Amino acid sequence: MTTHSAFYWAASDSLTMVGRSLRHTRRNFDSLLLTVLLPTIMLLMFVYVFGGAITTGFDQYVNYVVPGIILLSTGYGASSTAVSVANDMVNGIVDRFRSLPILSTAVLTGHVVASVARNVVATALVVGLALLVGFRPNAEPVEWMATIALLLLYILAMSWLAVALGLLAGNVESASGFTVIILFLPYLSSAFVPTGTMPTVLRQFSEHQPITPMTETVRGLLMGTPIGASAMLSLAWFGGILVLAYLAAGYLFKRRAARS
Amino acid sequence: MSTLIIPAAGRRLNPHTSLRETASHTFSMAWRALKKMQRNPEQFFDVVIQPLLFTAMFTYIFGGAIAGDVKSYLPTIITGILVQTSLTACMATGTQMREDMEKGVFDRFRSLPMARIAPLAGPMTADLLRYGIAATLTIITGLLMGYRPGGGFVGVAAGWTLVVIAGWSLSWIFAWLGTVLRTAQAVQGAGMMIMFPLTFLSNAFVPADTLPGWLQAFVKANPVSLVINAIRDLMNDGALTRNVAWALLGCAVIVAIFAPLAVRSYNRKV
Repeated sequence: MTTHSAFYWAASDSLTMVGRSLRHTRRNFDSLLLTVLLPTIMLLMFVYVFGGAITTGFDQYVNYVVPGIILLSTGYGASSTAVSVANDMVNGIVDRFRSLPILSTAVLTGHVVASVARNVVATALVVGLALLVGFRPNAEPVEWMATIALLLLYILAMSWLAVALGLLAGNVESASGFTVIILFLPYLSSAFVPTGTMPTVLRQFSEHQPITPMTETVRGLLMGTPIGASAMLSLAWFGGILVLAYLAAGYLFKRRAARS
Repeated sequence: MSTLIIPAAGRRLNPHTSLRETASHTFSMAWRALKKMQRNPEQFFDVVIQPLLFTAMFTYIFGGAIAGDVKSYLPTIITGILVQTSLTACMATGTQMREDMEKGVFDRFRSLPMARIAPLAGPMTADLLRYGIAATLTIITGLLMGYRPGGGFVGVAAGWTLVVIAGWSLSWIFAWLGTVLRTAQAVQGAGMMIMFPLTFLSNAFVPADTLPGWLQAFVKANPVSLVINAIRDLMNDGALTRNVAWALLGCAVIVAIFAPLAVRSYNRKV
């Protein structure tokens, strides 16, 4: 009989839960629609409806807006993750998992990895569609790699934040409500319009929230605009969010599991 | 004291209700709908929160980038939000009607000697209050933000009236959907599929001439754009233009088509 290390079993349990979450995604048409279709609609709407009217200093508005749409699509993905985590906590499946000889936090890992996978697919689709409607990035391979790495950090941070919010919520409706802030932040940033065109109070908020430096960095890497301190700010913001959300999710999960 | 019972054959039954009776029955059903609203204040959320949120969001976030500054964007956005909000509000009409039909309350209405159109027209008459609240809040929000309509009080009042009329007319489409589709979710989904293109592919948020050529053609033919143009003429210029006449005619045509369709499918369904 072969014996495996603790790490092997932890990885095995987590992979099983990833498979479960991905199957749920495939079967939950609404959440799939939210993750893929909404960013697509938003991209087309902003490019064709608002694009001609919004002044950004770019020749084509599509080149300005794509980084924002990518970040927005991750927000939609995070929203469905929070809801599915809350659903798991409410319907008692976690109690059944706790009675099995598996790593307790594998459920959360499953949700996060599935969320990252969903968001990577959604991002790829958004970028593909953007290229079809006239997005023309002038990034070198190194800049593309840096963009992908940065977006993965963002997706991972948002996924763990969504898990933490899903655990914090008492029910599915509350989880959906909690994620509104994640969905709304890109609008209050430089994702769609330059912050300079906003009223003073809104501009101050916009320039000091995490989505703006991330948008500016992605835009800078893909379009060659000045990045300045945005890259460091993005890493600090989302590295911090990732660590805090991960710790909060672990704590909340243990507390919720102990209560049940 | 004996009561004379006339045999059925000898009785003169009038299966048709008079216009006065129809109006009376409609107002009774409207009163019922108002009572329901009073007991479920969350029904007002879409007409209270949405106009405030959308007006603030579009004006402060996009106003400067679209029109140069917030104040210059207000004449465009306030009129656009007015129509968008009334469209969203009339979507709820169909959803609530479908919920009522699912509960079986309409079966009970059919057993009563009332006008066939009353259970449909009643809630829609009550919904005039919701459109009125939405329009009033949007205008007040605009005024607080610095909107100064060129049409003055009369122009604003005329624009407000047109919004309410347009909302009521369009709600017949959603009432018809409520009687045709099987679930409240289906009505909501279909409503979104109608509402989203009609509002966003219109001149509600941006001037039509900033859109690509192929989209301009659709926007100019869009009935929502027609209503928005009419409201802009009334509120921003105080002018009673051809757009107003076209908008009113459009509303009349929608009611003429969808009111009979809604009543017919309701009678078949219930």
